[in-house]
Amino acid sequence: MAGKWQLRDREAERALFSSRLFVASVVCLILFIVLLINLFNLQVIQHEYFSSRADGNRLHSQYVAPSRGLIYDSSGALLADNQPIFNLTVVREQVPDLDAALTLVGELIDLSMEDLTNFKTRSERNRVPFASVPLRYVLTEEEKARIAVNGHLLSGFSIESQFVRHYPFGKLNAHSLGYVAEINQSELDDFDEARRESYGGSNHIGKTGIERTYEELLHGQVGYEIVEKNNRGQVMRRLDRTDPVAGADLTLFLQNQLQATASRALGGKRGAVVAIEPSTGGILAMISEPGFDPNLFVTGIGRAEYAQLVTDEINTPLFDRSTNPYPPASTVKPFIGLGGLALGVIDKDFTIDDPGYFHLPGVSYRWNDYTMRTAIGGGHGLTDLRKAIYQSCDTFFYDLGNRMGIEKIHDFMSLFGFGRSLALDIPYARTGVLPSRDWKSQARSEPWYPGDTINSSIGQGYMWATPLQLATATAILANRGGVVAPRMLKAIDGVIYSPSTEESVSPLKIGEDHLSYVEDAMTMVVHRPFSDVFRDYGTAFEAIAMTDPEMEYKIAGKSGSAQVVGIAQEILQSSDIDTSDLNKDHALFIAYGPAQHPTIDPQIAVAVFVENGEHGSSVAGPIAKAVIDEYLLDILSIDFASIDDSLAEELSQR
Amino acid sequence: MIAKDFVRQAKDPFGYSSQNVNWWNALHIDPPLLISVLLLCGFGLFVLFSASGNDLDTVRRQAFTMFLGLVVMFSVAQLPASSFRRWTPSIYFFGIGLLIVVLLIGIETNGAKSWLALPGLPSFQPSELMKFVVPMSVAWHLGSRPIPPKFRHVFWSCVIIALPSLLVVLQNDMGTALMIIMSGVFVILLAGVKWKLVIASIFAVILASPAWYLFVALPHQKNRILTFFDPYRDPTGAGYNIIQSQIAIGSGGVYGKGYGNGAQSHLDFIPESNTDFIMAVLAEEFGLLGVAVLIFLYLSVLIRAGYISLRARDSFGRLLAGSISLVFFLYIFVNMAMVSGLLPVIGLPLPLVSRGGTSVVTLFIGFGLLMSVHTHSKTVVI
Repeated sequence: MAGKWQLRDREAERALFSSRLFVASVVCLILFIVLLINLFNLQVIQHEYFSSRADGNRLHSQYVAPSRGLIYDSSGALLADNQPIFNLTVVREQVPDLDAALTLVGELIDLSMEDLTNFKTRSERNRVPFASVPLRYVLTEEEKARIAVNGHLLSGFSIESQFVRHYPFGKLNAHSLGYVAEINQSELDDFDEARRESYGGSNHIGKTGIERTYEELLHGQVGYEIVEKNNRGQVMRRLDRTDPVAGADLTLFLQNQLQATASRALGGKRGAVVAIEPSTGGILAMISEPGFDPNLFVTGIGRAEYAQLVTDEINTPLFDRSTNPYPPASTVKPFIGLGGLALGVIDKDFTIDDPGYFHLPGVSYRWNDYTMRTAIGGGHGLTDLRKAIYQSCDTFFYDLGNRMGIEKIHDFMSLFGFGRSLALDIPYARTGVLPSRDWKSQARSEPWYPGDTINSSIGQGYMWATPLQLATATAILANRGGVVAPRMLKAIDGVIYSPSTEESVSPLKIGEDHLSYVEDAMTMVVHRPFSDVFRDYGTAFEAIAMTDPEMEYKIAGKSGSAQVVGIAQEILQSSDIDTSDLNKDHALFIAYGPAQHPTIDPQIAVAVFVENGEHGSSVAGPIAKAVIDEYLLDILSIDFASIDDSLAEELSQR
Repeated sequence: MIAKDFVRQAKDPFGYSSQNVNWWNALHIDPPLLISVLLLCGFGLFVLFSASGNDLDTVRRQAFTMFLGLVVMFSVAQLPASSFRRWTPSIYFFGIGLLIVVLLIGIETNGAKSWLALPGLPSFQPSELMKFVVPMSVAWHLGSRPIPPKFRHVFWSCVIIALPSLLVVLQNDMGTALMIIMSGVFVILLAGVKWKLVIASIFAVILASPAWYLFVALPHQKNRILTFFDPYRDPTGAGYNIIQSQIAIGSGGVYGKGYGNGAQSHLDFIPESNTDFIMAVLAEEFGLLGVAVLIFLYLSVLIRAGYISLRARDSFGRLLAGSISLVFFLYIFVNMAMVSGLLPVIGLPLPLVSRGGTSVVTLFIGFGLLMSVHTHSKTVVI
């Protein structure tokens, strides 16, 4: 060992090592320089690029949904507001095993197959990474607690609060207000780019009624915020925010109190009530019964509940009876009568001797007076227009209709909004049918027969009108021929909304004496009492004026009982209901009040429709009276006993 | 003896006062190295505080580990290099024994079975220790003989290197095995092996690597290589780390985003931001300047270590100190190159900055050896 050491050349070894270390140092230095060059490339040359990449990592722009405008009734009652609900939401990226987690959630809370399929569609629609997708809406307190307790097993699941539409009065306003519900795929497909953008933060959209008509006003403008998110998608900071603009608050002409009264008066019968303020066309009440709870649709109605609503073919709660047409029957008589006078076809002295039926010249077919069906037979005897109205004499109108011809009937009735929709903001309202030669040749490819005119002149046959149209026509009558367009919206954000109507609403050129004559006749419908004279009372006297001898004001009205046509075969075969009920006539009544008052103009015009109600005067009449009473006496608080000029002034100013 | 020291110290090129040198030398501590290392530790803790999301606990634990390392360094430095030379074979076989134990009862983390939890000791990685045991053993083998070494000595050196490397490969820790091989190879290079042999070996490796890739490499290793060449082939999977790391570094710019403002790290986009990828945090928050400061600190340690190896009195000391310096450099370079995308990702901490236990203590053992070589060389009696 020692020998080896002796042989070593220490200086040579040191020199060798030194040279090797030198080479190593140079290599190290070169490598450090390479490192620095690479860093220079990343941090100086490509700095801009990587900065934007870093911002792209952490900065996310997200939508902030605007809060939906509120809807008030005319007296300030809140008809639609927004209330917080708690939803169970899922961030898919954060759930390690979705199926297992969903199974666990299913054990904790009630989770239906629909919730799961809806969740699947929602998460496919929602392509933004780390976005939370609702799984179950409206958790109860207990469900919230169960989820919270098991929170550690449910990473990626969270409970989020959200404001959704709420309708405090539930089914009462279901058809007129409509409802909002989750935006569906076909609606999304119809959106243009701007609309898609503005609904980026919204889950809901108005589907029916006011909610749909004024969707643009109610929705508001979407806001944005820039948030910083971490690697797990959690929002760490909010950096910039453009506040959303809340939707406009709408005030409707609707009187919730009147809605409630109308609903109560209908008393569970199927039907509709529409009430209009004649001076403005403002819709004071518009209900269709039976209704449905619109709140069910907001958070996604269950399949079973929906099936129940849809399969009820007799009550059809989703069907809006107020804007769908029925045969108007005798309620058209005042208009046709007025037409006869106004067009000079007849005059006030024109009289027929009614045998109880009508023959077209040279035709053997007998048109019976339907109002006589249940009575003892025979006719009304000597009958002028006034009597023909308050006694609802069919024979007179068969004759008058035959004299006028269908074209005159069509043209005159059209002025009152039959066969078209005068409504400004009820686009879904049907127009019914106001038949004419042209209409029949186009719609049915058949010629017009003289008998068709006879049927039409008592509001049967081809003639169809919606309760809304009847109320509108009545309002025009009450307005002394001043045409008004029915409308729901009274004010936007508290500012009175005055629509500019393209169509001229010039008053109809009808002589004042003719109008007074018809008003007189219609007032007699309600107020002409029984007397010794055979068949000389108002058809609605017994049901309206007689029940309220203290009545302080007068109502002008007209009853109608429409023959039921076209009941679906499956309904007739259904064992659920006595089919004879479905064959009963529809009961109708139109009215306005106060009528013939020296100082106060008519304040309300009403149309009542009761499906299979059988008698217009006795079934629909009292409902109309209840609604008019409520409006005049309770809502407007008119004290007819001590009326003074200032009140009359105030009412005419409204 | 003492008088002789005084003569030596009078010639000290750094011009310390005689009194000082006396004290430091008696304590077997090299002040320039100590100061550089302490500065590095301080800087490391500073970066770690931000990288750990201002978690004082982590920093405190790391500081404690560093303190432990200083104690270990001080203890190692007390022993003369000559005694290490004597004990080298025993240490080597003890190390091999530990590696075998790891294979038997080791703990597997991240796919590599490299941790050992012995009762009464904190768990540690024996393979980390081998990064110094292997060069020490090769230095022992070659330093006992005249240099440049003969071919058969180089061959036996390769055997000394290969044995522990193979065991580490069996642990499925390819990165550490490469580091061990390189640390051994450095000694052979410093010992003055013929350039012909060096160049031939490099060629052999270059020629063999395609064969390795095709026939030997495991799928995850191939994946790492492919990801290195194109991180964007799997941007959310294999390439995620390197992409996010590059984004962090690049977005830092020249001056950085400021301490604690590294969005990439604080929002958890950088994985392993406390450990292997901590350089990305530094580069993001302090920019190119911050990295330059760190490199400067590393250089000061490296230069001092190089000086120590040059001044070492015998071949063993020279080779040991020289290889420790180069292993230290290798750590630094490989980590930085890997984080900035110059090398494939292998698990390797950034010395004294990354959070870690074994690696920190191992580094301090290395510094202790350097100090031992430096402060005892003057008193070595042959």
